[in-house]
Amino acid sequence: MSTGTIYHHLDSLSQLIEQGKNKKYYLSDLGMHAYTSLKENIEIIESSKFSKGEFNSPLLKFLFALTPIKFISFEEKDKRYNTIISAVILIMGTILCGLNGFYSFLLFFIKTPEDIYRLPLISHVVFSIIFIVNFLIYFLLVEIFCRLFYRKKGNTFDFFLSFPIILYPMVIYLLIHFILLSTGLIQITYINFIDTVLLIFFQILSLWLLTYNLKVSKGLKIERGLIIALLLHYGSFTIVLFLSI
Amino acid sequence: MTPINYKEKALNILDFRLVGLVGSILLIVSEFLPWFSEFSLFDAYILYTITAVEESFIFLFPLISGIICLIASLLVISNLEYKINSVIITLIGLGFLSLFLVDFIPGELFYLSKAGIGFYLCIAGFMIMIINIMLILIAKE
Repeated sequence: MSTGTIYHHLDSLSQLIEQGKNKKYYLSDLGMHAYTSLKENIEIIESSKFSKGEFNSPLLKFLFALTPIKFISFEEKDKRYNTIISAVILIMGTILCGLNGFYSFLLFFIKTPEDIYRLPLISHVVFSIIFIVNFLIYFLLVEIFCRLFYRKKGNTFDFFLSFPIILYPMVIYLLIHFILLSTGLIQITYINFIDTVLLIFFQILSLWLLTYNLKVSKGLKIERGLIIALLLHYGSFTIVLFLSI
Repeated sequence: MTPINYKEKALNILDFRLVGLVGSILLIVSEFLPWFSEFSLFDAYILYTITAVEESFIFLFPLISGIICLIASLLVISNLEYKINSVIITLIGLGFLSLFLVDFIPGELFYLSKAGIGFYLCIAGFMIMIINIMLILIAKE
C-alpha cells in the first residue's frame, strides 16, 4: 500500500484517531467510544441481519404486523406513555384472569376444577393475585436466564417496563374466553375448539413478542431469544402437566 | 489420492434436520397405533363422533400436530434460511400436542402402566421435536 493511500485512510479516520508523541497512532476519546460501542453491540448488529427470504416470509410479516414495536423499543420521552399502556395490560389481565377462574402459570392457564359460577369472591381475588405474581415470576425467570446464559445484565428497568406488552395477546384471549364463558357459547363443541386454537395462537404470539423484546431490550439474537422463550415455555408445560396429574 | 473421511461423509448424510422429520412422522404414526386399549386415537375419534360425545376433536390433535410439524421440518430441509419460520410453525404444532397431553394424561393416569405403543411414540415424537427446535436454533448457516 502506498504512503498516499495510508494518509488518505488516516485522514478519513481523523476524528477517531490521534498521533502520539512517539509518532504512533492511537484511538481518540471518540474512537474509543466507537470501538466500545461496536464491541458491546455486536449481537444487536448481527441480529439485524435477518436473511431476506426469512424476513419476507408471510409468517414473519404477519407476526411483525402484530408486534407493537413502538411500545417495545420506546424512546425516553415515551416512557410515561409506555408505562401507562403496560399498566393497563396488567390490570386488564388481572381482572379477566379472576373472572375466568384461571390459575395462570407463565403462558398457560389452568381451569379451576370447581364450578366457576359458584366460586366465592375471595377465590376470584386469589386468581387475580396469582396473575400478578405469575407476571413477576416470569419476568424474573427471563432476566435470570439472560444473565446466566448470555451475560446480559443491562437495560433491566426498560425491559421490565415493556415486559407486560408480551402479555397483550393473552389478555385478548382472556377477554374472548370470558365472553364465550359468560354467554355459554363455550359449551358448543366447535366454539370450544376455536377457543383452544386461539389459545395456541396467542401463546405463540406472546412467545414471539418475548423473543422480539429480548432482541430489542437485551440485544440478544432472535435465535437466542427463542431458546430462552422455549426453555421457559416447555419447562412450565412440564410443571403444568405434573400439577394436573 | 486423499483418504475418504467416512465420519464427515456420514455427518453430511445424517443432517440434523432429519431429526424433525423423524419426530413428526412418529407423531403422525402414533395416531393410528393403540394407546390405552386396542383402539387407536383415530378409532376413538370416530367412535366418539358417532356417539356424539363432545370434544371428540381433541383425539385428532396428535395428528394435526404431526402434520404441522412435518410441514415445518420439510421447510427447514428445503432451505435452512427459513429456520425461524420453521421453529414458529413447529411451535404451533407442538401447541396442539401440549394442550392434548394436559387434557388427556390426567384422565388416563391410572392406565399409564398399560399404555400402548401409540402413547410412547407420541411422547417420543414430542421430545424429538423439542430437541429438533433447539438443534435448528443452535445451527449456524
